Amino acid sequence: MESSAARRWATIRGRIDGLVRGTRVTSVDEAGIEVIASGEDRVVDVLFDDRRIWSFWLRRDTHLLPNGHRRAPWPDRMRRFLDGRTHLVVREHVAEKVHFDEELVLGTGEGRIAFVNKRGLEISLDKSGRFSPTFSVRSEEQLVPLLDAMDVVIEMLHDLGIEAFPAYGTLLGAVREGTFLGHDSDADLGYVSSYATPAEMIRESFELQRQVTERGFATHRYSGGAFRIDVAEADGSVRGLDLFGGFFDAGRLYLLGEVGVPFEHAWLYPLGSCTLMGREFPAPAHPDRLLEAMYGPNWRVPDPAYKFETPQPVIDRFNAWFRGTTVWRRDWEREFALTGGRRLRAGASGLARRLAEESAPGTHVLDVGAGRARDALWLARRGFPTTAYDYVPRGARGAMRVATADGLPLESRALNLTEWRSMLAETARLTRTEGPRVILARHLLDATNQVGRDAFLRFARVALRGGGTLYADVWTGEGEPGFGLRPFDPDRLAELVELHGGSVLSRERLAPGDKRSRGLGRVVARWS
Amino acid sequence: MSRRVTELEQRVGELEDEIAELRRHHLRLAELADVVQELLIPMAGRDETRIAEAIEKFQKSL
Repeated sequence: MESSAARRWATIRGRIDGLVRGTRVTSVDEAGIEVIASGEDRVVDVLFDDRRIWSFWLRRDTHLLPNGHRRAPWPDRMRRFLDGRTHLVVREHVAEKVHFDEELVLGTGEGRIAFVNKRGLEISLDKSGRFSPTFSVRSEEQLVPLLDAMDVVIEMLHDLGIEAFPAYGTLLGAVREGTFLGHDSDADLGYVSSYATPAEMIRESFELQRQVTERGFATHRYSGGAFRIDVAEADGSVRGLDLFGGFFDAGRLYLLGEVGVPFEHAWLYPLGSCTLMGREFPAPAHPDRLLEAMYGPNWRVPDPAYKFETPQPVIDRFNAWFRGTTVWRRDWEREFALTGGRRLRAGASGLARRLAEESAPGTHVLDVGAGRARDALWLARRGFPTTAYDYVPRGARGAMRVATADGLPLESRALNLTEWRSMLAETARLTRTEGPRVILARHLLDATNQVGRDAFLRFARVALRGGGTLYADVWTGEGEPGFGLRPFDPDRLAELVELHGGSVLSRERLAPGDKRSRGLGRVVARWS
Repeated sequence: MSRRVTELEQRVGELEDEIAELRRHHLRLAELADVVQELLIPMAGRDETRIAEAIEKFQKSL
């Protein structure tokens, strides 16, 4: 296999050498890199002061200009760095032919352009188009904890009867280069369940996550079949180890998140081995078969700007089988990563004020979908013990800092309405505490989907049993839209409340005006 | 002929939607099975400490 791979490699290289001759960079400016592209579409690397930051495809990632040249615009996330001097090199990723090699200035900056994150670590764009400390800038010593963590997780899964192996980029790097891919930023593990249906495989994945959590690792679930295990490295940075589940169904292998192909069990098990930075790891019995399923027949050709072209029927299956429990969560994570720690504006919403006026002192307030927890903090300051629920609890970190400093009765808890397990477990926990409760749901029902709305009303029904009140505001669609909001008809909300056994005490429509930028539908309801 | 094709296209679309609906049950069934095993069974034992522990352990892994 080695020699045939080498032969194939030599052929590919020869072909590319022939093609690159007509290709050149005509200019580099604030708009991007202008090129004349000749031959087949292929990847070029962009280096700033000798460090690869970005790679793009000469055709796929460029657009045609009126002069017949092509331009690769700078990726949006890169632009804020582009102010200063640099030694810029554009070169073929495979053939090492250089198309551009000059000292230049972008913007008005005086200093060198530096791609570093807040922690001072050198970063570059990974294949998902995100900036992260990629492996090419990490020392061998820094990667030892990740290799150790892979060992620990593989060993742990082995104890649990599951034979895991490096997958995706990690398998590709090990098999093709014996190390991590320079442009990659995480490590992937895969395993194939002995169960044959998604439902059973998902439950097994839930159990695995519990086992990993019990061993002291922080985890983060992506879908019913995959989750991330966070590993702290020597320099303090945290790196994700992704664990992808798979299963066989009638001669077809499904492996999250990209593979669904006819496959033979014997190509995977019993596992063989591969070498990663001199250390031995398990590997599929025929890694080339799996790599072809993951990256296509050209997996031997390096491509740091690789994009998966997973067939639509496979995507449809994965979406329906495994996804739907993190609805719009990534958008909110991004939003709160930027604004969650900011100082909160004083005051509270009209809805929170109304709740405070009408609730007896000491009533436990459940602020569901609390976001930055401005209302929750305001209510806690007025003496209401308050729980700020959100599926992105970090949004409340600024409010929690204030509450802790001022000794206010505010707590922040995770609650994901689109994940039944989250909602049911929190409902179970709540039923074990006594006392009157009210729910504040400001821009919650207009920020989730039907699954989330149904789950919320089931949660409210139990939490408010025995006389608790719900205060809810939704955006009607009039006036300015708010971040992440989708218009929702307050009459529909009233119907949902009644469907779940509540009585609507009042409903009103508040038109946008001087003090209100968007139209609101307000529903107040009670459960007996 | 074209009406027949339109009808068949519509039917295929409907069948695709129905298949997606059925597939979506896998995740919810798994969630319910997990809740029953991890929370409901300990609760049936009525041991208050164990129930509290079971809820805490379950939530920690979400």
